[in-house]
Amino acid sequence: MNDIQEMLKRQAAWQRSRQSLTWPEKIRMAEMVRESVKQLRASSGPRGKQETSAQRIFRDQAD
Amino acid sequence: MKELAQLLNGMREAGVISDYALFGAAAQMRYTEPVATLDADVLVKVPGSGRLDELGPIYQFCATKGYHPEGEAIRVGAWPVQFVPVFSPLTREALEQAETADFEGVPFRVVRAAYLAVIALSVGRAKDFTRILALLESGGVTRQEVASLAARHGLADAWKRFERRFLNE
Repeated sequence: MNDIQEMLKRQAAWQRSRQSLTWPEKIRMAEMVRESVKQLRASSGPRGKQETSAQRIFRDQAD
Repeated sequence: MKELAQLLNGMREAGVISDYALFGAAAQMRYTEPVATLDADVLVKVPGSGRLDELGPIYQFCATKGYHPEGEAIRVGAWPVQFVPVFSPLTREALEQAETADFEGVPFRVVRAAYLAVIALSVGRAKDFTRILALLESGGVTRQEVASLAARHGLADAWKRFERRFLNE
């Protein structure tokens, strides 16, 4: 349990550190993620492999 | 994105649009951590709006600068850009109250956090609710600011439902 709490703390700290990046830095990160989202979408067509939950989350969040 | 800021500033200087402001996920990232998004959304006010091809002059201007349509968007550098004419008192006010941010030395008009939240509330999809929560958590806007703006634009009930569902324990 302690391990999980530590992991969650580290994750929260990591998320806070990303929030404090400059806006242009965040936009550049989003540009990189966008390319991944596009590739995931392309590979998860009706005849493609079954979509993973991570792929579904990315697909649902991206607009 | 810098290229988009330059294009929009040029478009305004040329009188093709009266004003513009970035909104949606790309604007939200001024306040929150980075989020996945596929395109950039820009609110625009077009002089003499009301004509059927309201976006026509924008598309023409973009074409003269070498930017061409890609589906329902115009590709500007890395970003497909969706131009959205102001369509309600809320979006009109969001545009008027937008602030001028700095993007790598280029002025870039961006919708303020409270308006981003209330526009998301008015759209009301799951990802819009996520956006509101992210804005609140970032401290970019307070619950009181959102409540007040929502009430002024006839969204008090929608905000109460959102609060009941996501914020009240």
